[in-house]
Amino acid sequence: MQSSKRSEALYALLFLSPFLLHLLIFFIFAFVRTIWFSFTDKTTLNESYNFVGLQNFVKLFGEERFLLALQHSIGFMLVVTTIQTFLALALAAVLNQRLRGIAFFRTVYYVPSVLSSAAVTVIAIWFFQKTGFLNTFIGWVVAHAPVILALAGIFLLAQAVQVALERARGLPVAPTDPALAAISLVVAIGLTWVLNAMGLVVPREQQPPEFTWLTNADSFLGLPIPLWSIVILNIFTTIPSLMLIFLAGLQDIPKSVYEAAAIDGATPLQQFFRVTVPMLRPVTFLVITLSLIGTLQMFDQVALMGDSAPLNSIIVMAYYVYNSVFSGEGRIGEASAAALILAGLTFVVVFLQRTFGVSEKAH
Amino acid sequence: MEPRRKFDERYLARQRWARAGWVYGTMLALGVFFIGPFYVAFLGSLKDNPLEWPFRATFAQVLPKNWAAAWKLGQQGAGNPLLGGFAPGAVIPFEVTYFVPAGTEPATPTVTVPERRAGAGLGAIFDEVQASQYAQVSPVEEVSRRPARVGEQDGQIVTYRFTISYPRGDPTASEELPTTPRLPLDVEAPRGQVFLTATLDPNRLERRGRVASWDSAAPGFLGYTFKNYVRVFREARDPNTGSSFFLRWTANSFFVSLMAVLVNLLFASLAGYALARMYLPGKGLLFALIILLMAVPQQAMFISNYLVLRDLSLLGSLWGMIVWIGIDMAKVFLMKQFFEAVPREIEEAALIDGANPITTFFRIILPMATPALGALTIMTFQGIWNEFFKAAVVLSGQQGSYTLPLGLSFFRSAYGVAGDWGMMLASAFLSMIPIIILFVVFQRYFVEGVSTSALKG
Repeated sequence: MQSSKRSEALYALLFLSPFLLHLLIFFIFAFVRTIWFSFTDKTTLNESYNFVGLQNFVKLFGEERFLLALQHSIGFMLVVTTIQTFLALALAAVLNQRLRGIAFFRTVYYVPSVLSSAAVTVIAIWFFQKTGFLNTFIGWVVAHAPVILALAGIFLLAQAVQVALERARGLPVAPTDPALAAISLVVAIGLTWVLNAMGLVVPREQQPPEFTWLTNADSFLGLPIPLWSIVILNIFTTIPSLMLIFLAGLQDIPKSVYEAAAIDGATPLQQFFRVTVPMLRPVTFLVITLSLIGTLQMFDQVALMGDSAPLNSIIVMAYYVYNSVFSGEGRIGEASAAALILAGLTFVVVFLQRTFGVSEKAH
Repeated sequence: MEPRRKFDERYLARQRWARAGWVYGTMLALGVFFIGPFYVAFLGSLKDNPLEWPFRATFAQVLPKNWAAAWKLGQQGAGNPLLGGFAPGAVIPFEVTYFVPAGTEPATPTVTVPERRAGAGLGAIFDEVQASQYAQVSPVEEVSRRPARVGEQDGQIVTYRFTISYPRGDPTASEELPTTPRLPLDVEAPRGQVFLTATLDPNRLERRGRVASWDSAAPGFLGYTFKNYVRVFREARDPNTGSSFFLRWTANSFFVSLMAVLVNLLFASLAGYALARMYLPGKGLLFALIILLMAVPQQAMFISNYLVLRDLSLLGSLWGMIVWIGIDMAKVFLMKQFFEAVPREIEEAALIDGANPITTFFRIILPMATPALGALTIMTFQGIWNEFFKAAVVLSGQQGSYTLPLGLSFFRSAYGVAGDWGMMLASAFLSMIPIIILFVVFQRYFVEGVSTSALKG
């Protein structure tokens, strides 16, 4: 028995050996060596190097570009994680219906997450050009604002009137009653069309775009405008994955819980906030954690933007590390120190989120 | 509380239908949000100037009239209706129509076949055979003239015709005359005449519409409609060998992705099986270590990996990338989870028969694991096909061994300066084709894979 166990352990080691060898060289040794490098003045070129203590870390915190990268990374993480968690949850809630053809839509929405970051970023850079499609679209909306506002106004008015009439008849309809809303929509489209044909509500002339996204020196909420472009791009490409995780979580919530809530008289909105959100807590924890790690380590989109935008306006930690190694004399010592700060930051943020943010446990 | 009137059946049914309508409407709108950007970018990739303002959804390249004309011209130019060209023996009749305002006497336009280099960036490096050396333009003759009113102006519409031909030359000459890929054409009208239409819509109108300019008057269907896509293959070539960069990068991407799939199929399933089923002291510790390492950012490890690969002389080589990609921890976990769900009796029966673990694994375990191996194949292929960071670290500077994502980044910097967005967008879309095919065929694996595996930023 003893010898068969030993032989099984030997076979297990044999099976695991390629994996363990790879792990040893490219992860463990690599990580330990990065820690060691961070205390030295090694570059990619020099053969011999010296131990310099904490000098690299001190130098980093005196360097403008590093401080920018740190600030951008943290800002980027906070903004993107917040927005995409909410949007992904909302999207999952919409998609969590038993309707014919829903799987088709689910698949279609996933497309931006499947494609390579390189291809999507190249397309995004086109999008963000001065005469690119984003500015064209915004210009179109601004030019058509009178029509859009008229449509929305008539819709709300028609809905309010219908709900008031139904209630006067004693029917307790909700303000969001879908059937009435459909009638309101038809009324709104018809009336707006008439107003438009009469020349009362007409779109304004579209002006050539002035706003630049990628070469803009301004900031908004403390982050440069070019970085906001990457925020939009990143949210667009990661929402589908997060939405699918939420959807899996939503489908795990037993139907009986909702039925019980409905019997107690909870409205759909109440059900969402009192039942869905608390029951989803473990999934939300996973989504937020993945999002925090992903945004802190975001590299591809910045690297692919390249000289489309000034480096100082889009630099983040991950790119700073790469750039330190592959530009100039290749300051490996400083790059390692920056990489360790990034790793430390990741651990701290995940730990803080776990302790003070959304926890793993369902209520 | 006042007594509620009961909703009748018909009311509730109407309610259900309306709600379904709103949900489908919302989903359609979201679909436009997620797919729309790719659609407009695709339209842009077909245009002569993807950054034109105002944005047009209908332009020369999407008009069936031009498809038919380009097809026919391609046939007349080189007997190639798809890609066109200009070959000896070609005779290409061409018509141009102008509006001549009243008071102006119509005058024949000047037709030239100019010498024009292909595109900006890499394409300009090569000396290509110019059609201008061989093309002969017949005298321009007037075909028809009729009075018309264009806008607020009275005048007449005049159509001219000319023929561009490529004489066959001396049949006894030792060297054959070359076929040129393009036949650039400029038609300049005298002052006052406004270009209206032509056999094929021009790629550009210059000098207030007086000069109509074609990149090729014999483009063929693909050469006209998918001009930028054809250019990706024709113009972006290795300056040393002259072979297409894009084809090379596609082959490289396939090579790296398939090798990574093979490595992971074999070694991740071996490791997963050992972790799931076999006795090994310290297995729990190994587990904890793997989980910990998964949380360490890539940036904290690539520096050493870069130096290791440099010491092994694997930088700039696809093998360097394959070695670094190696065996993915997430894939080992996937296989481990799968094997844990397999009933133990099956392998125990094999072991009692006296087979050793290696035989058992390859004869019995692996054939059972086909569904998991399928998922692993798809996920690995997609992940590595899209991998940018490792390619950027290992392959930097060796254009011949780039993979597609790195190649796109190279195009971005090579053509971005000149603002040649047609090339950049076309190459981005071309690089997506394999993944889109894979996604359409195996979408179930993709959508289910997300819930189990971590996502990247």
